[in-house]
Amino acid sequence: MRELRLERTGKRRRRSSKEDGNPLREGLRLERVPDPHVMVVFGATGDLSHRKVFPALAQLWRTNLLPVDWMLVAVGRRPYDDETFRAEVARALEQFSRVPLEADVARQFLERIAYHQGDFADDEVFDRLSVRLDEIDAEHGTRGNRLFYLATHPSAFAQLVGQLGRCGLDHEIHGGGWRRIVIEKPFGRDLDSAKRLNREVGKVFRESQVYRIDHYLGKETVRNLMVFRFGNGIFEPLWNRRYVDHVQITMGESIGVEERGSFYEETGATRDVIQNHLLQLLTLVAMEPPATFEADALRDEKVKVLRAIPEMSRVDLERNVVRGQYGSGWVGAEPVQGYREEVEVDPLSETETFLAARFQIDDWRWSGVPFYLRAGKRLPKRATEIAIQFKAVPHRLFRDAAVDPEPNLLAIRIQPDEGILLRFGSKVPGLGLDIRTVTMDFTYGSAFSVDSPDAYETLLLDAMLGDASLFTREDEVEAAWSIATPIVESWVDAPAPDFPNYPAGTWGPEAADTLIERDGRRWRRI
Amino acid sequence: MDGRTLEAAPALGQTILRWSSRTHTLAGIEAELARIWSEAPLTAQGADGTPERRVAARTSVLNLVVVARQPELAERAAAVIRMLTGRHPSRTLIVSSADPDGPSWVDAHVQAHCVMPRADAVETCAEFIDLVAGGETGRHVAAIVAPLLVHDLPVTLWWPGDPPLGSRQVLDVLDMADRLVVDGASWSGDGIGRLRALVAIVGDQELAGGTLAVSDFAMLRQSRWREAIASCFDRPELQPFLNGLTEVTVRYGAHPGSGPGGTNLIKPLYHVAWLASRLGLTVAAPLQSAAPETGVRTPDEDIGTPMVGQLRAGRRRIAVAVVPTKSSTPAGTTLTVELAARRRGETLEVIVSAEEEAVMVRTRLDGREFPVRRFMAPRRTEVELLAETIESVGRDRVAVAALRAAAELAGPA
Repeated sequence: MRELRLERTGKRRRRSSKEDGNPLREGLRLERVPDPHVMVVFGATGDLSHRKVFPALAQLWRTNLLPVDWMLVAVGRRPYDDETFRAEVARALEQFSRVPLEADVARQFLERIAYHQGDFADDEVFDRLSVRLDEIDAEHGTRGNRLFYLATHPSAFAQLVGQLGRCGLDHEIHGGGWRRIVIEKPFGRDLDSAKRLNREVGKVFRESQVYRIDHYLGKETVRNLMVFRFGNGIFEPLWNRRYVDHVQITMGESIGVEERGSFYEETGATRDVIQNHLLQLLTLVAMEPPATFEADALRDEKVKVLRAIPEMSRVDLERNVVRGQYGSGWVGAEPVQGYREEVEVDPLSETETFLAARFQIDDWRWSGVPFYLRAGKRLPKRATEIAIQFKAVPHRLFRDAAVDPEPNLLAIRIQPDEGILLRFGSKVPGLGLDIRTVTMDFTYGSAFSVDSPDAYETLLLDAMLGDASLFTREDEVEAAWSIATPIVESWVDAPAPDFPNYPAGTWGPEAADTLIERDGRRWRRI
Repeated sequence: MDGRTLEAAPALGQTILRWSSRTHTLAGIEAELARIWSEAPLTAQGADGTPERRVAARTSVLNLVVVARQPELAERAAAVIRMLTGRHPSRTLIVSSADPDGPSWVDAHVQAHCVMPRADAVETCAEFIDLVAGGETGRHVAAIVAPLLVHDLPVTLWWPGDPPLGSRQVLDVLDMADRLVVDGASWSGDGIGRLRALVAIVGDQELAGGTLAVSDFAMLRQSRWREAIASCFDRPELQPFLNGLTEVTVRYGAHPGSGPGGTNLIKPLYHVAWLASRLGLTVAAPLQSAAPETGVRTPDEDIGTPMVGQLRAGRRRIAVAVVPTKSSTPAGTTLTVELAARRRGETLEVIVSAEEEAVMVRTRLDGREFPVRRFMAPRRTEVELLAETIESVGRDRVAVAALRAAAELAGPA
């Protein structure tokens, strides 16, 4: 089914080198099953593994997209054994599975999980792991293929990579036995740390073995963005500075920081979502058509966009970036506390929970077209959307109409209620010539009432198959940090912000409205 | 029940009948279809018994036309389509005929089935027309179908059972269709006559610049077999053996008493044809009953005779055998696909076999066994196959090439 979806969305799987010479592979889009392998999850007892990774793997198992000769070794510090850990995963599957698993399927899946306890600083843990993986190869026919998944706190990434290298677990074996590593976001906390981490990873793994995950890229609507742009003839000719007035990308969350206060204190909105999710969306909107749908061709184009965003001076940053932090307020008819009152948050915290920014892309296509990005917590609703605002008609023809037609707008809703909306003017029925704005609304839910796979299902399967198209490359991560880092660094010695500066349940501070209104535009009401 | 139905709000993902009416003319069907949407928003009863407003939207994906020549086929098709729920096409039309020698009449049930995909979404509805045509009317399927299609949407024509491929009746309906869906494994006899007719349709379409795509459930069911066979040659050291193929043998299940021409051969043929088309092999000698001197025989002639033929790659010949084997599986089911190849003095043997709900791949190079690989391959239901077909777009050129090769292997009529 997965490949069917890929075909429907126009994205063909990149063929790995070993498949290139196999003529029987042609046309086998629906059936590709990864090679037998062992997947090793570090941080297996954590929230991400329970909520996302294990349920996604179980769905892949349920749909026969995992090889029969597959094993999962869960590595964590907590004192489980195989049986108690399987029981823990079973509970997670009951709670978080997208589609309930039949008892037999769940049992088969759980039987393939082994638990390996130990501290990541302990060499002996990795020596034992290495031996255990060899034993699994011998017992389960997993053939030396290994997929390492780092679902730990980012501070453990370098240590884990070092340990894998020390034990030789990165070494690919000639004629079989691939080794890949998936690294969760955030990849670094600024440009320097990202470069450092890239260096550490690069000492052990080749870039082709590294899969940096940004789960946003696995979302069906994000993948559809490429199909929408490059699979339809009518939009791309309009997709440039001649017709587009500006672009707005919004990622609103109605929730606060919940249990992640200490994490959020370290990150803030810029590091949490702007540097990765929103800049990824921006690149997908702005990039040139890649020559092929292969991983590097796609990522080359995305990197070009990031590099075309000029570095902002301190004056530019003051003018084009607005940060905010929510105070108490009302969200969804419920009173909620301010950020500084959240658990594990400094009562005098200066961490931003909102960011609005205006970016320019200095290239032939987009010169002069501003891209407005905003993201925040405790906004009125959960909504992620890309809005392409087209220019107004050049000539006011309907002078007798009470109002001018609004410029056309194309809104791509990423979540929730995924779909695409096109706004245009239409004559109101009657003897007069009144113009009313109407919309054509496509929703995924009603056109394809098929459940989309979770982003993690898509991405995990891609990593197992060796397809890096939806993963971020070393230079891409660094290019994104080179945009985000000056923003966060400019705040270090800036005067203390007047936080909190927006009540929970509103669309951010007034300065965010000023940012866009100064250009004679306004944020889209979502 | 006639017209709108007021029922409780459905559970998420559960299909619910929102409209049902009956009519006896095509104009009546069109009027009923219009009524469904002119009376929208349909209302449903809320949990507390009060009417609850639920705006319904018609899905806009495709027209699905099913031509079922027997009532039981129509019932089975209707059951399959109802189980598609989330993948429901926008308009389904099941046409069956009855009493061909009697007076002309039409009896149609018009229904709207709705589903709530998510709590915050509107209900998504699909129209369902179950039409039985009697007398002369039943012979003019195209004339019935044409006015009932939602224009500008693709038309998938599913013809379960034994379609009279090549007949005027089929060709007229195909003129309106973008995809023809059949199940070659369900065709009566050995199925080879219909296979030739199907390939002729594909050829005529191409000559005429048509866009008709063809899907055969029999071929879709073999997808995991193809993956299993292909996976063997992902090994770089084994790939060159594809250029040294010497034998292809497919063993299929047969039942005592089936005799010559009594077992459907479509599935075994498709296996060989797919391999031949992917490897660029041409047919040197079509399949024919094995002569005793070939050495290919079955222990029990009562289950039919083996067929042998030859494929060609340049000057190299590849022996092909399609061998019936007594089995409790449904007749025509593939039991094993066996490949033999030689290269630089080494012999490769690959045996792909079905075992319960899995396909096993056993590989031996000069007697050296590779680890057995197992692929889960649960039998796919018609619901799954139809769902996959509905979601397919465009012509699958690998499938078309395999179809052509299968017809060539079968030889001329």
